Amino acid sequence: MLYLELFLQGLLQGSIYALIAVGLTLVYGLLRILHVAHAGLYTLGGYFGVLVFNSTGSLMLSGIVAMFGVGILGVIIYRLCYEAILDQPPYVPLIASIGLFIAMEELYRILFGSYGISYTNPPLQQMLPLGGMYLREGEWVTILVSIILIGSLAWLSIRTRLGLAWRATVTDPQMAESFGIDPIRVRYFNFFIGSALAGTAGMIVGILNNLVEPTMGSVPSYKALAIIVLGGLGSVRGTLVAALMLGVVESFGTIYLGNVLNRDAIAFVFLILVLMVRPQGMFRGV
Amino acid sequence: MKLKKIISLIPALFMFFGIAWADTIKIGFNVPLTGFAAADGESALNGAKLAVNQANASGGINGKQIELVVYDDQASPKEAVPIANRLIEKDGVKVAVSGSYSGSTRAAAGVFQAAGIPYISAYAIHPGITRAGKYVFRTSFMGEVQGRAGALLIGQTMQLKRVVVITLKNDFGKSLAAGFKAEAANFGIEILNEYEYSIRDRQFGPIVAKVRADKPDAIYASGYFFTAGPLVNQLRSGGVTVPVIGQEGYDSEQFIKIAGAASEGVIITTSLDRDSNSPETRSFITEYEKLTGNKVDMVAASGHTALNVVITALRKAGTSNPEAIRNAIAQTQLTAATGHISFNTLGEVRKNVQVQIVRNGDWHYHSEIRDQKLLAPPES
Amino acid sequence: MGYEISLLTFMGISIIGSLSLNLITGFCGQVSLGHVAFVGIGAYTASILTKADTPFFVALLAGMLLAGSFGVMVGLASLRVRHDFLAITTMGVNFVFLGVVRQQEWLGGELGVSSIPDPGLGKLGFLALVLGCVILVALLSLQIRRSWMGYVFVAVSGDEDTARMLGLDVSRYKLIAFALGTALAGLSGGLYAHHVRFIFPDSFAFVESITLLAMVVIGGNGSILGVIVASALLSVLPQWFQFIGDYKLLLYGSLLFVVMRFSPGGLAGLAKNIFPKSKIYFALKENQ
Repeated sequence: MLYLELFLQGLLQGSIYALIAVGLTLVYGLLRILHVAHAGLYTLGGYFGVLVFNSTGSLMLSGIVAMFGVGILGVIIYRLCYEAILDQPPYVPLIASIGLFIAMEELYRILFGSYGISYTNPPLQQMLPLGGMYLREGEWVTILVSIILIGSLAWLSIRTRLGLAWRATVTDPQMAESFGIDPIRVRYFNFFIGSALAGTAGMIVGILNNLVEPTMGSVPSYKALAIIVLGGLGSVRGTLVAALMLGVVESFGTIYLGNVLNRDAIAFVFLILVLMVRPQGMFRGV
Repeated sequence: MKLKKIISLIPALFMFFGIAWADTIKIGFNVPLTGFAAADGESALNGAKLAVNQANASGGINGKQIELVVYDDQASPKEAVPIANRLIEKDGVKVAVSGSYSGSTRAAAGVFQAAGIPYISAYAIHPGITRAGKYVFRTSFMGEVQGRAGALLIGQTMQLKRVVVITLKNDFGKSLAAGFKAEAANFGIEILNEYEYSIRDRQFGPIVAKVRADKPDAIYASGYFFTAGPLVNQLRSGGVTVPVIGQEGYDSEQFIKIAGAASEGVIITTSLDRDSNSPETRSFITEYEKLTGNKVDMVAASGHTALNVVITALRKAGTSNPEAIRNAIAQTQLTAATGHISFNTLGEVRKNVQVQIVRNGDWHYHSEIRDQKLLAPPES
Repeated sequence: MGYEISLLTFMGISIIGSLSLNLITGFCGQVSLGHVAFVGIGAYTASILTKADTPFFVALLAGMLLAGSFGVMVGLASLRVRHDFLAITTMGVNFVFLGVVRQQEWLGGELGVSSIPDPGLGKLGFLALVLGCVILVALLSLQIRRSWMGYVFVAVSGDEDTARMLGLDVSRYKLIAFALGTALAGLSGGLYAHHVRFIFPDSFAFVESITLLAMVVIGGNGSILGVIVASALLSVLPQWFQFIGDYKLLLYGSLLFVVMRFSPGGLAGLAKNIFPKSKIYFALKENQ
């Protein structure tokens, strides 16, 4: 029973990682950029969520603002920051992204205070035992939302023209362009979706912890990188699997390996081990 | 009339004894104002500023106003060392206080000790800090000491025996756990399990699930408000109802805000008694809230106390000779916002442990631990 | 003078650190996101040895050797993975290093290593040692670039597959770059430990690796002079900018971003644009 609970906790953590990492792998698959500032958008989602909820009391409105607000901002970041340096060596957008991320964290601290913000009337905090599993409402919702969002993404990419255009551009950008697909629109779409997912994740974590801090993105910033490498850079499916696996490994690791290695080290040992066996990551990426 | 004459002679006396004529008396203060530790830095600085304002309002030190020379060290040893040098050389401070974390304080302590300038750690708990030398003091509890107090609290005062320990993986958490474990057997405590987490963790699902399976009588959890808040919240939502005992890392309004209703009944060992009738504590609490608009927390109280120790010593020493100031600090017998303060030979503080509990959404008096033998910090 | 001396000492130590990363990332094109782990290996090794009464210079050397050995191991790993994979694997190395150091009590655990003995050179003497090392490392970098090794490095960083096709033993040179770069990082670590005389895991956090990489990239990846100037400036920036107070880090992040966005060649690239015919810059310019 305990093992089942730990497993479920791992899946929960993994779904949060998935929401964040998918956006990162989408960007990498399309543009070969390690978009570290993605974690700054995740944090912004948290802030949007708590600020809107504290002033309006509407969870729905907060969710919409978190998702769409962050999505749009993600596109803006692509436009202002990355578009001009796409042809530079990979460390250029990487360092630019890191600089942007640091600036974002500091901006949050200056604007919203260093103590962090909590929900004045936190929603979804009640415990909801289902099938003998003790999770809070918010935690069940997290799993549900992740499934819905990522499932929608899968549906979008397979069943719609836009998704088809996106997949074509990722596979072969020149070919796709010669077929009349507008690469700019695809990129906007890509950044919007990825950032919207991250923003949602940020808001969810803000609710689960009842705390939105300026530095809440620092752990996801590098962990998500590890996850997308584990999954095979650019492979959404691989990222999902890697994210869930990592969640479960960490869940058991904190309890049983806690005095051997700390959580972050566990993630990276896992990463290094996998890469030694399969240098291209678990799934074939791009 | 005579008094006035004497007072007007004092500046001349200072000059006579070759003491540098300064317009103000400078006290150095290194504190994290940017970066991850900015929240605590802000509190510490506010507490320190309040102490300085209060002292200046009542005549300063022997007539001179006090100036707090503040530098942002980002809680980094790399920044703290040049700042220490700068305070000593460029600003000419004869005494300084650290409002920063362990790493930066330990690094700076070496510099101050080598220069023979007294240095007080307001709340950084690394054991190596006071061991830097005789010029370094600490006004907050060492981790081990507070951990021992926790064992007494749970085993003796609360009579709870089967305990799960949740430890924050840093110097604070580990030294608390070490002190707790050292004394646990003496109070009949059986430690069922210990789980560790790191300072960036906010989601404790696996630990909560395991603790629920362990079925303890009590939980001894170390952390800061931003980890303890989520932890306690998740413990309660996870169906764990047994008492949670923490330490002064929780001691902030933020903990109650984050944990919400779950904070009710949480008990901590700390230094600040918000229900205290002592005028020093009451005035600190009232004036802090007036100055900052925030409620008091442990870090602010520590900053305030440390500055008061310095100010009192400066008044007593009546000179800007660092050796004399150091001796005055060593002989401190002061009632500050955090209780009666004195130091042992290592420079570690001797004071009672306050135990506070959250009732009706606020921190209140629970009990006090006065066992000075148990609480005695190491002498070297 | 103590204040200026301590600033200059930190500056020198940072320069050694970033020049060492420059060998790996700048010359050889292998992006390392975990370089500070090797600084840490050097620091811990040297400190534990000097605390056990080992002579200072022997301890420094031991630190360099150990860091270099681990560097070779990571270098071997780099042979199997490429580009972005390598970047993140090196990031992993940083975290694993931290994880190990935090748990081992004999390495100080969370408390780190304090009361590291004074090398006995005095403040000015120590500064002279550090500056001497800076000059040596800079000259070494210059020599490597000018030698056939440097030619191989350029080839490898430009296009690995072509280099291999040309018959260059790519693997061997990657390993050499890693070994040298990490050994020199170990030197910087040993010097740091004996300057601050207190080290703990947070001194070698991931953010420090980023700082080193930023110094290299802002200087101009591969440009020795650029990297020296960038590290000198960035390492003491927080002290100079004390008056900006609350906005320091915001400025730092924005600076990183702005430089990369508008002058990806870093300072060296900027200088090339302003002084295209300058001989100095041709001698020390970044990889083309």
